[in-house]
Amino acid sequence: MSFTIARTLDEALAALAAGARPIAGGTDLVVGARHGKAPLPADLVAIDRIPGLAEVTVTAAGITIGAAVSHHTLEGHPLIASTYSALADGSALVGSPATRHVGTLGGNIMNASPAMDTGAGLTVLGAEVELRAQAGSRRVTLADLWTAPGRTSARPDELCVAVHVPTPAPRSGSAYLRLEYRRAMEIAVVGAAAAVTLAPDGSVAAVRVALSAVAPTILSLGGLETLAGGSVNDVAAAVAAAASQQATPISDVRATDHYRRHTVGVMARRAVAAAARRAAGETIAIPVNRSIGIGAAS
Amino acid sequence: MTVTETPRFVRADGPDKVTGSGRYTADLSLTGMLTAKFKYAGVAHGRITKLDTSAAKAIPGVFAVLTQADVPNVRFGPFVQDRTLFADGVVRFEAEIVAAVAAIDAATAQRAVDAIVVEYELLPVVNDAEAALAPDAPLVHPDWSSYGAARPMVRNRNDASFASIAKGDVEAGMAQADHVVRSRYVADGCHAAPIEPRAIVAQWEGDKVTIWSSTQVPFDARAGVCETLELPANRVRIIVPHLGGGFGGKCGFHQEAHVAALARAARRPVRLVFSRREEFLAPDKRREGITYEFETGVRNDGTITARRVKMVLDNGAYTSDAGFFSQIGAMHGLGPYRIPNLLAEAHLVYTNHQPSGSVRAPTAPQSCWALESHTDEVARAIGIDPVEFRRRNAVDTGAEGPSGQLYGEIGVQQCIAEAARLAGYGQTLPADEAIGLAIGWWPSFSVPSGAYVKIDGDGSGQIITGAQECGTGSVMTLRQLAADEVGLRAEDFQLVYQDTSVAPYDMGATGSQTLFNNGRAVVAAAAQVAEQLRQLAANRLEADPADIVLADGRAHVAGTPDRSVTIAKLAAIAAGGELLIGHGSGAPPEAPALVGSTCVGNVGMAAWVAPQFSCHAVRVKLDRDTGVVRVLHVAAAHDSGTIINPLAAEGQVQGAVIMGIGQALTEGTTYDDAGHQRNAALLEYKLQTCADVPPMAVHFVQINTPNAGPRGAKGLAEAPNVATAAAISNALAQLVGQPVRQLPMTAERVWNAMNATGAQGGAA
Ligand SMILES: Cc1cc2nc3c(=O)[nH]c(=O)nc-3n(C[C@H](O)[C@H](O)[C@H](O)COP(=O)(O)OP(=O)(O)OC[C@H]3O[C@@H](n4cnc5c(N)ncnc54)[C@H](O)[C@@H]3O)c2cc1C
Repeated sequence: MSFTIARTLDEALAALAAGARPIAGGTDLVVGARHGKAPLPADLVAIDRIPGLAEVTVTAAGITIGAAVSHHTLEGHPLIASTYSALADGSALVGSPATRHVGTLGGNIMNASPAMDTGAGLTVLGAEVELRAQAGSRRVTLADLWTAPGRTSARPDELCVAVHVPTPAPRSGSAYLRLEYRRAMEIAVVGAAAAVTLAPDGSVAAVRVALSAVAPTILSLGGLETLAGGSVNDVAAAVAAAASQQATPISDVRATDHYRRHTVGVMARRAVAAAARRAAGETIAIPVNRSIGIGAAS
Repeated sequence: MTVTETPRFVRADGPDKVTGSGRYTADLSLTGMLTAKFKYAGVAHGRITKLDTSAAKAIPGVFAVLTQADVPNVRFGPFVQDRTLFADGVVRFEAEIVAAVAAIDAATAQRAVDAIVVEYELLPVVNDAEAALAPDAPLVHPDWSSYGAARPMVRNRNDASFASIAKGDVEAGMAQADHVVRSRYVADGCHAAPIEPRAIVAQWEGDKVTIWSSTQVPFDARAGVCETLELPANRVRIIVPHLGGGFGGKCGFHQEAHVAALARAARRPVRLVFSRREEFLAPDKRREGITYEFETGVRNDGTITARRVKMVLDNGAYTSDAGFFSQIGAMHGLGPYRIPNLLAEAHLVYTNHQPSGSVRAPTAPQSCWALESHTDEVARAIGIDPVEFRRRNAVDTGAEGPSGQLYGEIGVQQCIAEAARLAGYGQTLPADEAIGLAIGWWPSFSVPSGAYVKIDGDGSGQIITGAQECGTGSVMTLRQLAADEVGLRAEDFQLVYQDTSVAPYDMGATGSQTLFNNGRAVVAAAAQVAEQLRQLAANRLEADPADIVLADGRAHVAGTPDRSVTIAKLAAIAAGGELLIGHGSGAPPEAPALVGSTCVGNVGMAAWVAPQFSCHAVRVKLDRDTGVVRVLHVAAAHDSGTIINPLAAEGQVQGAVIMGIGQALTEGTTYDDAGHQRNAALLEYKLQTCADVPPMAVHFVQINTPNAGPRGAKGLAEAPNVATAAAISNALAQLVGQPVRQLPMTAERVWNAMNATGAQGGAA
């Protein structure tokens, strides 16, 4: 049993190589252990004090978000809110203010829950994850990362160090919404993110949609290429139908599969609509859940 | 006596709680203290075929392992003696305690629990209270007829407590009606869910035991320990540290005796702290699920001619304090209406679920939800506005209630008018919004209670009371009553409370009764001290004691304020002679008579002392695509008599409204086929959060209540929990096109109701 506080990335990677599990905010790992989901790993290495791991950096290709960046930072970051809105929408919904201050993006991604709130947004934004081990680093797409509920393709000695998100094309916008029964301390019943690029005539040039909590991993909707050229309303309607059709939800204490299948379509339609409004230059406050639809103030 | 003008003082224990310096039971640590853990049944219904604790006892660090064989063979229960401390051969719900362990630490205690071998022959799970009433249903308690029970209880097989209230001729009344409206509603059970899971510490010294317990009712807890461990009351002392919420869930006698028995066997202090999951599963306290069948006859002119209601309440595996729920439930099934012909029948039925018990206004919020939803259906059937319908049919001053009680001055009509006004009832709203309204009621409970008051030589006062505090702040208001009696300020008094060996009896933080009864006791005790002060002042000022006025920290002669002496000076004089000590109890107000009704199973819950009335009007917004409902505004008007501390009273209403929103929309317990709770965790059992709380307008209709508590006060803590869910339902029904017939009205149930084709009258 050991708990190591890593001061440098190398220390953390060494600890992982020796069999330790990383802990960032601990909001999944510790809470899960308390609830009997999985016992707390015998050896832990804390990665929350490694210099640089909690920074957001603007690059030529887009932005690089350190794995230890908190949801609180993400929801309030001006560039992320304006340009990578679906990610900010997701982070702003996580738990409570306390959870958002402690919980990290890397933890959310590596925990690999299909109900995670940043996953769908990152997917439609085309993000890649940088994994590093002592031997070197590699980049994987999110589709390649998540393999099953709670499982990733990362090796035990690999640390997620950063998430790279490319700069969206001009006239693009994105949004993430979830179905929730209350406005804090909630888990997505279903969720949907959309990234929309508009043509100069206002029609949809490109659309990407991903869904949460309706499949074993975040589900990227297929077959949307054919929608290019359609009006926002038509695309939103077609996306809603595709979402309901491609989802493979389960029934549990939160909802039946039938209801999830219906509501994920509603979320997808709203996500496309909100993303298109943002693409057209409109500002919709983060999180979009509080501005339109179910969670809205009035 | 001088009455302070509308004091708005903040609760005295607030800073302790907010800064974290307050000590709760789980914070206590005693030298040599062990950790307790329970072995639970794990199955909902089974006969124990093998129970072997030898391996657990052999684990180093285990100091005691107890089963029913190790404690006196006592069957207990306030209404039906159907229960033992540990399972007695049969387990009847998933969290029935089979054995208890005390060990050196939590990990060792858990290993010992895991090492206890229990085998069961599984018995049929009684999972549905309505089905359990069938003549051939399996019995939860095959020996039910041999159990002791309180005398008025009417019992039959799985029906642990039947009550009916009848008046007039229902058949004739229905025959006079132009319309007869029938509806069925189903309310799921739910939980008190206090933020502090319960904790108990027990320590023996010789043949006396001190038990620190997070209980709302220390004297009741003491009585339970005395009964089950066969001890006299003066050898059991219950002390309650800060209590982290109760909402009724910490009423009744719980695991105090288990922990005391463990501490005795282990010869060490023992501490039990529940996990959140245990807090959901193990207490004898869950808000009862109820099914309702209503039938109301109404004339086109809007008068109700007759009502029939049948209710089936889920008692769970044992009858805790739920024995009175059938009668009080029947009252709520009938409602505060003028109805000449009526019949309510309520059955409290055994199942293999967690036992039901008093959670804030037991039976009332769900019954109000069902009845008031039905009432809107009745009003719609004859095309009368629901508010107008209630104005015409609700009881009023001088009217007769359903159980034949004639009301003195009451404020229900004023509540309807105020709530409608505060909500802006009748305004034009967006298409996805509506305002619904409902009326509720709740008794004040008149019971014995005691207190001491003393003023020490320096002029500072103390109230030593048996009253208990569970977050309502009502004990804080006792200081105001004592201070006004003796001419001091509330801040001049300190409270000593929640200790059964120090103060006289009080029923505890239950039944909204603290101010009503203990307030009476404190006033009586303080009056004795005031009398002593007047005598001392009269001697010193050479006046008649009857002419002495106590106010503003001084005693003066009436009419000549400068002939005065400070109360501190009088206290100093008393300290050298006869001490300033008062004791008080006072006669509880008597229950009113009932005329013209027949009450079967009468446990005294049909005659209401100082009844409270309320009307809530709620504006909601519906997301038609998903069925998600948002509450936008709540107006709450209450007749709870005189309001002595408005700040505390408003806080009670606000908290209860939030709880009511949860009950309406998100809080409900569901069971799987094997009788296990499916959502015994705070992620899946969805309380409302601060982010969900809507703006509220609270109004108190203060009228001159006869036969009430001190200064005309009634109770308050439970009443505001009654009408919120009902008002939400009535708003929602307008948007959905029909009522959502199952509580909680979850988003999916709302969506199902919107999409049901021609679904009328059945539970969704
Ligand atoms: C009250 C509460 C509410 C919540 N609400 C939400 C919500 O609304 N939406 C939501 O999506 N989530 C929610 N969560 C879950 C959780 O807060 C988030 O997933 C959070 O982002 C996890 O981050 P963390 O830093 O706390 O992860 P940790 O618990 O520290 O780690 C989670 C997992 O990821 C691994 N890990 C962490 N960092 C790395 C890394 N850099 N590289 C490799 N592996 C790593 C850990 O070993 C562990 O397996 C909630 C949690 C709580 C307690």
